[in-house]
Amino acid sequence: MSDVTRRTFLRRTGLIGGGLLAAPVLSACGGGADRGPAVTSGAVTINFWTHDPGYVKTFTESAKRLSDAPNGAFDYTVKATQADSEALVTKMVSQGAAGTGTPDMIGIVISVFPRVMTGGIGKQLLLDLDSLVAPVKDDLLRTSPYSIDGKLYALESDTCLSVMYYREDEFKKNDIPEDVGTWEELAEIGARLHKKTGQSLGTVATGDNTSITNAFLQLLLQRGGGYFDQSGNLILHSPEAVEVLDFMAKGVASGFLLALPDPYGAPNTAALKNNKLIAAVMPNWYNVYGLQTNVPEQKGKWRIRTLPRFAGGGHIASNLGGTGFAVLKDKPNTAAATELLKQTYLTKEGQLLRFQQGGFLPTLKSLYQDKDFLDVEDEYLGGQRLFDVYTPASEDSPVFYQHSQLNVLIEALGGPMLEALQGKKKPAEAIKEATAAYNSKKGN
Amino acid sequence: MPSVARRRTLAPYAFISPFYLLYALFLITPIGIGGYLSLTDWAGLGTPLWVGLDNYTRLFGDASFLSAVVNTVLYVLFSVCVVVPAALLIAQGLNARGLRGRDFFRLTFFIPVVLSPIIIALVFTLFYDREYGLFNAALRGFFGWGGIDWLGEPSWAKVSVMLLVLWRWTGYLTIFFLAGLKNIPRELYEAAAIDGAGRVRSFRNVTLPMLKPVTAFVAVTVMVGTAQILEEPMLLTKGGPGEATLSVAMFIYREAFTRQQLGYAAAAGVVMFVIVFFIGRAANAAFGVGREK
Repeated sequence: MSDVTRRTFLRRTGLIGGGLLAAPVLSACGGGADRGPAVTSGAVTINFWTHDPGYVKTFTESAKRLSDAPNGAFDYTVKATQADSEALVTKMVSQGAAGTGTPDMIGIVISVFPRVMTGGIGKQLLLDLDSLVAPVKDDLLRTSPYSIDGKLYALESDTCLSVMYYREDEFKKNDIPEDVGTWEELAEIGARLHKKTGQSLGTVATGDNTSITNAFLQLLLQRGGGYFDQSGNLILHSPEAVEVLDFMAKGVASGFLLALPDPYGAPNTAALKNNKLIAAVMPNWYNVYGLQTNVPEQKGKWRIRTLPRFAGGGHIASNLGGTGFAVLKDKPNTAAATELLKQTYLTKEGQLLRFQQGGFLPTLKSLYQDKDFLDVEDEYLGGQRLFDVYTPASEDSPVFYQHSQLNVLIEALGGPMLEALQGKKKPAEAIKEATAAYNSKKGN
Repeated sequence: MPSVARRRTLAPYAFISPFYLLYALFLITPIGIGGYLSLTDWAGLGTPLWVGLDNYTRLFGDASFLSAVVNTVLYVLFSVCVVVPAALLIAQGLNARGLRGRDFFRLTFFIPVVLSPIIIALVFTLFYDREYGLFNAALRGFFGWGGIDWLGEPSWAKVSVMLLVLWRWTGYLTIFFLAGLKNIPRELYEAAAIDGAGRVRSFRNVTLPMLKPVTAFVAVTVMVGTAQILEEPMLLTKGGPGEATLSVAMFIYREAFTRQQLGYAAAAGVVMFVIVFFIGRAANAAFGVGREK
């Protein structure tokens, strides 16, 4: 055997190192636990990823009911992984690239969904649900936020109808009518109220870009505007957008709207506790996650109503947030996960269970006329019949069109919008600037 | 070569090889992959598309990236010019002869380092609130005025992040300076006193020169660490308002994990790596870190 020189040794070490590096890569390419024959019946463990414990509760209970049903094909066990919504998608993509370790079902938050619209991720990993929803397609309330090129890849878990929450006791005390017809009238009342008592009837966010733009989007959709149209064209640069931003900026200046860095954080809670904030435009989930969690002592004092209209037109409700549940395709448990999703989200029993377990509003239009829902009263809201408000809201709520570049638009819009809210820039200029910034950034 | 001699020749390499293998696996390889990805368009799945230097060209024309670089430079300058001297002054105070409760003060200054960042963010968000915040309440109490929008006004938001950095890291750096101060022989101060030096002169002519190696280490560490700042702006302001507090590390995170532009993010990562590397080398050279006198 010849002498081993330093160079030879390093070469050999390099080969060993290369081998070590290649092994996991090759093993990942070769597939693993995600491959195998499809499970069509019997015991099945569904790997379920979500950011919200409410969904774990709902799907675990739903799986139990399906397993106990006499004609059920599957005996489900739900193995839940709970993490931050962004992290879940990051991990799903990484595991997808590795070819193993993806979940069977995943909840993708609406603001994170643009990520799976990028680079063909959704199409490569997620099951096209068009055939699943075909029998109830016309009855589904929201499909556009989770569609890619016209195909549905996730089922909305909650309609997220935005209504107006208000303190009935404070409204009575300050002689504010509970049925004010338009935003413009309410803004005048709010300005007078703020001058007299220092209270406000809503919030705008001045913190990060997502918070800043969320409050705007909610009102913009209500007014009849939007970020993108159905074809994916930017429609932000519109009279409606300027009007809504102007309305918000004037509201902040008059004190009708309270500027807070985070609409869900500690300062917001402090404003609620101190009776400084006595109304808010928020989605249905704000009842449980915003009010009941942060101001339980105000139980019975809050009520909801549909949104006042803008004098120029629009809807009586809006949307904010949402989570779409998707099934990973070409996996052994794909059929079982699809069945679990279908039974939980596309049947009345499943929708009622979701509402009872997590307060998630029905996603099927027909259920807004169903007696089991119509009779529901909410103790925190003083025993108010929720669907007296949510049913008309569901019939006149706007459509939100998702876009792969939504996050780019949010980045472009946040800064100019903040300046408009702070009175440093005219709303029309802010919208124009944001549109130009988006057009310049979207290619990046 | 006889086999025993050959084994003796190989033995040292065998002993050190685990380090180099792991070094290659966990450092050189990711850097190489990052460099390669920076030349591609890749969303994280499928085959990366080769785009050459396009990502770099776009990066240097991206207003968000330039804003992030400027913010990061401000954070670095603040850390080096304010946090490091503050840590030195506190250490000097803690090193005073006859100070009672020294351990208590050390513990107090060190607590911010071990506190969960989530708790820090929650508490400071409330401290900084314009309406209910502690800072504005204190300003109103002492001066009758306190309407600063700490987190909503772009320039104040930067200040807020910097103050959080000051609060969080000064105590940690103090420990290094305190250790350095303990190693300065008392005789030097006594000799200086005999020569008529007062406290300020002793500090300037004895403490500072003797602390130079520690100061150099702390300054370089702080520079490199702050150039990669992520937690403070991320937790306190999420880079807002607008992009007023966005750092380069946050920019990379945002491009990779909210826009799924991994190639573009990798290009920003490479640029940050190069900047941090040269800052580190330049600082090492300037402060003479690791050099014998």
